[in-house]
Amino acid sequence: MNKALNILLIEDDKIEIMKFNRVISKIETKHSVKEVNNGEEALEYLENNSLPDIILLDLNMPKMSGIEFLTNLKQHDTYKYIPTIILSTSDNPKDMMECYRIGIAGYMVKPLKYEDYVTSINTLIAYWSTNQLIKK
Amino acid sequence: MSQKEIDILKRALNREKLARKQAEQILEDKSKELYSLAEELRESNEKLEELVSESSSELKGVFQNLVDAYILIDLNWNVIKMNTSASNLVGEENNSEAINAFEFIHVDEQKNAKKAFNTLLEKGSVSNFITRVRPNDKDIDLVSINVSLIYNKNNQPIGAQAIIRDITLETRYNNNLEAQKQKYTNVIANMNLGLIEVDLEDRIVMINSSFEKMSGYSEEEIIGKKGKELLVPEEQHEFFDKKVEKRVDGISESYEVQVLDKKGRKKNWLISGAPNYDNSGKLVGSIGIHLDITELKKLEKQKEILLAQLETSNNELQEYAHIVSHDLKSPLRNIHALLSWIKEEEEGNLKENSLTHIDLIENSLEKMETLITDILNYSSVTSDGKDDQLVDINSLIEELHKIIIVPENVKIIFLTELPNLRGNRVRFQQVFQNLIGNSIHYMDKEQGLIKVGVEEIPGFYKFSISDNGIGIEEKNFEKVFKIFQSLTERKGSSGIGLTIVKKIIDHYQGEIWLESEYGVGTTFYFTIRK
Repeated sequence: MNKALNILLIEDDKIEIMKFNRVISKIETKHSVKEVNNGEEALEYLENNSLPDIILLDLNMPKMSGIEFLTNLKQHDTYKYIPTIILSTSDNPKDMMECYRIGIAGYMVKPLKYEDYVTSINTLIAYWSTNQLIKK
Repeated sequence: MSQKEIDILKRALNREKLARKQAEQILEDKSKELYSLAEELRESNEKLEELVSESSSELKGVFQNLVDAYILIDLNWNVIKMNTSASNLVGEENNSEAINAFEFIHVDEQKNAKKAFNTLLEKGSVSNFITRVRPNDKDIDLVSINVSLIYNKNNQPIGAQAIIRDITLETRYNNNLEAQKQKYTNVIANMNLGLIEVDLEDRIVMINSSFEKMSGYSEEEIIGKKGKELLVPEEQHEFFDKKVEKRVDGISESYEVQVLDKKGRKKNWLISGAPNYDNSGKLVGSIGIHLDITELKKLEKQKEILLAQLETSNNELQEYAHIVSHDLKSPLRNIHALLSWIKEEEEGNLKENSLTHIDLIENSLEKMETLITDILNYSSVTSDGKDDQLVDINSLIEELHKIIIVPENVKIIFLTELPNLRGNRVRFQQVFQNLIGNSIHYMDKEQGLIKVGVEEIPGFYKFSISDNGIGIEEKNFEKVFKIFQSLTERKGSSGIGLTIVKKIIDHYQGEIWLESEYGVGTTFYFTIRK
């Protein structure tokens, strides 16, 4: 049975957030999504709230870049266990290599067509909601 | 006469007879003795004569066979006697002994010869008088003459004997040697390379003028000094000592050092050092040839800096291309999503016309995305060789089937086994993907056939990809490789594909060209360096 996930979405683009929420809202299982606009906000959120099940991270953001945030996250004693999936616009092999080196649980390139996007997100969420995750 | 007297006379006669007999005996003995002595003397005389004639014939032999020419002349230069060498010198036709030696002195030298003859008369002999002669043999030119006077019993000079030595070859040889020596001395003095000779204590024995210029020290300032102490900065002493040790072991080598010239300026020298031996093969020091590579080093360093800068800016450019292209793609995705929502939310409310427009907008978005992707790919064709590997083109094309959809009516065949190429796998894939992809897209025949082949030409592989598709008009042969020159309006075509292919082929120092007949088919050829 699919569990409801607590998802932290780190994304600065308004429409991207809308797209994500729209896809999630149409899924039967009621996942909860917390959106933050950048890495700094994300760290602040993690400090003051119960930890999410998974983090979805956009790479191209103002202030702290996605990779910078990821580096910080993976150096933290507790946060480093949170599965982090990259939602990127870029399939730049250099970025990809760097992310896998630091440690990620997945790397998804956002497709152009909305229909494709819907399929990708549904698959991703379905996969993670069937996973056994650390609850804290 | 009394008996007494007679007896006395008789006795006297007898004594006399006896005495005579004795005397006769003595005489006989003496004459015998004399005879034998005379015999002895005769024999020894004969022996002596023999000896004398032997040694004189020996002498004659020596005289005749003397390598050097020997002549005997009177005081008027008339030749009295000459040996074989001498007649060889003056020539067969002059072999009669009634010739005058003076004629054989070279005209230009006759004055000197007269002077020398006067000296001879004065002093009795002249040695090593070098003069030119007019010989029979053209190869002989210069001779050295040793001459002395011959006197009669009254100590009056009556003639002169001379030994003439041909020194032409010797002189020529020495001249040659001198010329060679001069030549190399000049080369050494004038060459752009600094030359230095040091003894076993590293004390400078010799330098050439280039070395003076290079080091700033004059010959007087530097001879006898230790090269290391004068020129090599302290921190390099150890390194330098090791090099000197090698010379002691008889090892020649080249190496770079940093030195300080007289004005204390840092210079980079390339030194080629070799051990120096004397005639008996004993090590006496070393010889070094120095080339000032300071400017070269500077250029090298500049080149390094420029290359590093170039690499940085190349990387930045690529980064930039990535960022720009993805920043451009974001709004496209957003527009796409928003359009989808409108369609979703307004389902049933939208007019047929509006739906068609939305479809067209979506098509344009897709085209725009392809364009951005291709531009990004194009700008990324600047491989630095880091990802180069041996790529099996056969398996690469097999894998292409996963990327390109090959319709059922199109067959791809390989004319030959394809080689392994060294390079970037993705780049090679782009080449074949674009060319084979084009062949598929522009296929208008019911049975499509795409043939991939390769042949080896000197230094290169020449690939060919031919199809029986629509073909290209000759006026467009060049155009197809230009950026954004898609000849037809085709979905998913940005017109960059062949431009990327050309850029990749350029990168591998190859060429690309095509042959085509409109309506019949096209063959693309390209070469890639082995």
